[in-house]
Amino acid sequence: MPVVDIDFEELRRLTGQEEKSDEELKTDLFALGLEYEGETEEGLQQLEFAPDRLDRLSVEGIARSLRYQYGEDRGVYVPRTNSPDWRYEVQESVPEERPYVTGAIARGVNLDEAALDSLIQLQEKLHATMGRDRVKGAIGIHDLIMLKGGAAGSEDNSIEYRGVEPEEDTFVPLDADAELSPGEVLSEHPTGQEYAPVVGDYERLPAIYDEIGLFSFPPVINGRRTELEIDSTDLLIELTGTDQWTIDRMGAILCYALAARGATIEEVVVEYPDRELIRPDFGVETKRLAHERVETVLGIALASEDVIDLAERSGLDAEVTGSGEGGGSDEDGSAGNPIYEVSIPPYRQDVLGPLDLIDDLGRAYGFNDLEPHYPDVSTVGGRHERSRLGRKVRETLVGLGFEDLLDFHLIAERENYDRMGLTSPDAAVGGADDEAGAENATDEAGEADATTPLGGAAPARIREPYSEDYGILRTWALPSLMMVLENNTHRPYPQDLAEIGLAAGRDDSENTGLAEFRTVGAVLARTDASYEAAKSRLAALCRAFGVELETPPTDHPSFIDGRAAEVRIDGAPAGVIGEIHPEVLIEHDLEVPVAAFEVGLDALR
Amino acid sequence: MQLPEVQLAVLEAASATEKRTIAQLAAETGEETTTLTGAAFDLAEEGLIEIEEREKDSLELTPEGRTYREEGLPELRLYRVAKEAGATETAASMGEVIGAADLKGKAVDIALSNFARKEYGKIDSGELSANAEADPDADEEAGAIEAIAAGGAGDVAPPVLDRLVERGLAERSQRTERAVTLTEEGVTALMEGIEAADTVGRLTPELLASGEWHDVEFRTYDVEADADRTYGGRTHVLRETAERVKDVLIGMGFEEMDGPHADADFWINDALFMPQDHPARTHWDRFALSEPAEIDDLPEELVERVENAHREGVGEDGEGYHSPWSAEFARQLALRGHTTSLSMRYLSGEAIGDLEPPQRYFSVEKVYRNDTLDATHLLEFFQIEGWVMAEDLSVRDLMGTFTEFYERFGITDIEFKPHYNPYTEPSFELFGTHPVTGELIEIGNSGLFRDEVLRPLGVECDVMAWGLALERLAMLTTGAEDIRDLHGTLADLDFLRNAEVSY
Repeated sequence: MPVVDIDFEELRRLTGQEEKSDEELKTDLFALGLEYEGETEEGLQQLEFAPDRLDRLSVEGIARSLRYQYGEDRGVYVPRTNSPDWRYEVQESVPEERPYVTGAIARGVNLDEAALDSLIQLQEKLHATMGRDRVKGAIGIHDLIMLKGGAAGSEDNSIEYRGVEPEEDTFVPLDADAELSPGEVLSEHPTGQEYAPVVGDYERLPAIYDEIGLFSFPPVINGRRTELEIDSTDLLIELTGTDQWTIDRMGAILCYALAARGATIEEVVVEYPDRELIRPDFGVETKRLAHERVETVLGIALASEDVIDLAERSGLDAEVTGSGEGGGSDEDGSAGNPIYEVSIPPYRQDVLGPLDLIDDLGRAYGFNDLEPHYPDVSTVGGRHERSRLGRKVRETLVGLGFEDLLDFHLIAERENYDRMGLTSPDAAVGGADDEAGAENATDEAGEADATTPLGGAAPARIREPYSEDYGILRTWALPSLMMVLENNTHRPYPQDLAEIGLAAGRDDSENTGLAEFRTVGAVLARTDASYEAAKSRLAALCRAFGVELETPPTDHPSFIDGRAAEVRIDGAPAGVIGEIHPEVLIEHDLEVPVAAFEVGLDALR
Repeated sequence: MQLPEVQLAVLEAASATEKRTIAQLAAETGEETTTLTGAAFDLAEEGLIEIEEREKDSLELTPEGRTYREEGLPELRLYRVAKEAGATETAASMGEVIGAADLKGKAVDIALSNFARKEYGKIDSGELSANAEADPDADEEAGAIEAIAAGGAGDVAPPVLDRLVERGLAERSQRTERAVTLTEEGVTALMEGIEAADTVGRLTPELLASGEWHDVEFRTYDVEADADRTYGGRTHVLRETAERVKDVLIGMGFEEMDGPHADADFWINDALFMPQDHPARTHWDRFALSEPAEIDDLPEELVERVENAHREGVGEDGEGYHSPWSAEFARQLALRGHTTSLSMRYLSGEAIGDLEPPQRYFSVEKVYRNDTLDATHLLEFFQIEGWVMAEDLSVRDLMGTFTEFYERFGITDIEFKPHYNPYTEPSFELFGTHPVTGELIEIGNSGLFRDEVLRPLGVECDVMAWGLALERLAMLTTGAEDIRDLHGTLADLDFLRNAEVSY
């Protein structure tokens, strides 16, 4: 969730609420959905909020929201703009991956230290959120005084957005003393290195020129020539990105913040080869909203004037444009079913449909003022069959003396296979040297057949795990139980543990390529653990569920030879039972014998 | 004076001048030590004897030790057979000697290594020669085993005992040794003469069948003494919480969902109207799978409708996301980050066919988050997911449902903080007060599903939904401070065994 650092003094000044205490401000902000997180080292107040209202990423934006909440402002506000003096010319050579540009000029800006910090913070926060770390949109702010128009060869004040080869030109970027080419910036400059991945696939690099030359390398870094200073008064703002709508919204949010500081916003002409745009985009969009929907969603009756009032208090405008179907009766004090046309200011990037507007109205009304109401809806509850079965098997195992466990489904590959004496099927694939062998192995990997020991199936594999300890989904449950035993050698024995949980193995016949199943694993760790002890408990479980158990001998690397059996339930293979091999015990630092069994839960159905 | 038989036996075996241990009394009287202890305490109560308690290290034979006591130590068996086979003169085949000594499995290694260690002979390339000087009858370890069995290991040299413990033939334990001496009153009573009352220790089937139980007196026990600790089987504490949540939800009319843990991003995110460039969908937060990597089939028409919602929005004035969307990403497999993927499968009709309102569904199941593991974060945890489908649901219905649910868990002051989720609007974070610390903590996230979620799924009425981590609820109800004690292979059995049952 976005976090923004603001100065409460600044907030008081911008809202005109000099007398509000810090505590009052915090309460008012919480009501807006901004949660107070604490104070920064610089003495700023840190606020966290959900990433919908990105216009609140600055103290200016938060102040605007508070002014609406306090009733200081009402309705849609659009700053006045002056007509364009500058043109942004987009050349055919712009990188096709980043074809869009937008911008504005802000004049008469009065930047002090705090205002400059706030502006830079807003820029960074917009990069991190809407800008998707500069991939989708990036902002450059320049000191207009340092720019010289006419880059496009005309008399006009114009700058040019074009694409350049990495070594085609040079400039002095911020935080550097020497001329660097864009290519050198990417390989040598710290900021360049950080953002190199953003333009990694670009054939040509984005570049912005004025008459003097290259002054900005978006989305990576600006040039030093146009760097913003405290005494800068006129700013040129440029945004480039992969989507026009997104950068226009980012630009609008920025311009609103500057306007709140007293700046005059001046339009620019954005000239594409095939069309011309006037920016910033301060267009007010409208959406239609049915009164009936407002009442249904909020669960209260409202008069038409109430809806319009709530809209204005949210910084929207609403007017009745017609009447929809339904509604009709006015007896409950409601207003029938008028249709409103709601105007939405340009800094709102979050309004996609009518529900977003209703949410605004609800917030203005105060959601916590609504009376909870248990819905008059009758349904019949119940459990899924698998969950009923799982519960009864667990009850039976607990009755047999097992301690029920709940282990992770994710596990380290070595825990699932190597430490149990098994070989990972994928390791076998990787080990195949000759090509034909590798191909065969690949074909067969994941396809467990009758000869695959329980647990030996190929696993689902995490693409980029944080830790190898959780790199695959387990293919059986016994490795988890062995790990619990390993971690509890200091606890009293006997340790009779059981778990009913998920395991999965790759299976091409499944839609997801993965066969997920519930498995029942059990271990008896005690000085007198034996095959017979395990079998007597498994047999009790099978009797309880009315299924027939057979245990023909089998070989399984996790168990002692001659003391392992396949578990066959009602004639079908269902699992394995035996005494755990001493090598596996030693591997898990165990000093007591362990007898174990594992069967598929579905076999007990 | 009349006393139960055992008490009389103790009294008679005890001495006024010499401390006699319970073990010594047992050897003398042939009674069980537990019976004698009980009797001794009774006598002490009467003031007839004094009991002195002493913590003492004791040695006992392990089952293996007892076996060797009967069958002989494997190395001795090996030596005797070897000597008979003339291995004192010429080396004999190891295999034959082992066979003749009837040694199998683990016992072979044990025999061979100890044979060599105790210099009963040498083993060289499969040949075994026996030392003619050795005397198996004087074997210190065999002697020590006998001594331990007789309860008199005190005279045995400590290194020999250590060796037995190392071999796993004997076990050391701490026990309380009690010794008794006659008091003056005891001596007097004995001199005056005591008659044995008929008493029994254990009620046997014979006593019951014969009716003899009428005539006997039952020996009394020390009923205040500690009993052995029993653990027994029990349901995992977190599972108990999950079961309780399920019971509550079923009581409120919710039906349980089930579905895949590894699912296409389409079901996990796209159907939920999560833009494909949403930060939560970057590879760092997801548990994307490399193998298998893609789902085979997705319902084509549904995919088209969902893509359209992402690009164009839903409804006349609807607006899409201005974000890239690719079917390829939608097909990618990942471990679900929330069980809302199940809700999508059910609401779309994919799971169990089309649903007509009203419906209530829930699940309490595992979800996965690619994060670092610490005291409050797990990579996998249980999510409580629930939704209600009906015509014309309001925010108040949502509040009423959650108020009802949380009240069952003692949380009565629930607060609704307006929130933002890409898939619900309006959305609320739910806050409640921690019953112990009084802190306001987040206990859930909720909202009405957006039109952009529901319409592509073919749902024309309203659906409200919420989610909550079960572990958070469990930490509240069990007081656990480290979530890792509750869940996973790092679990501490001690914690699980002693966790208070909640109901």
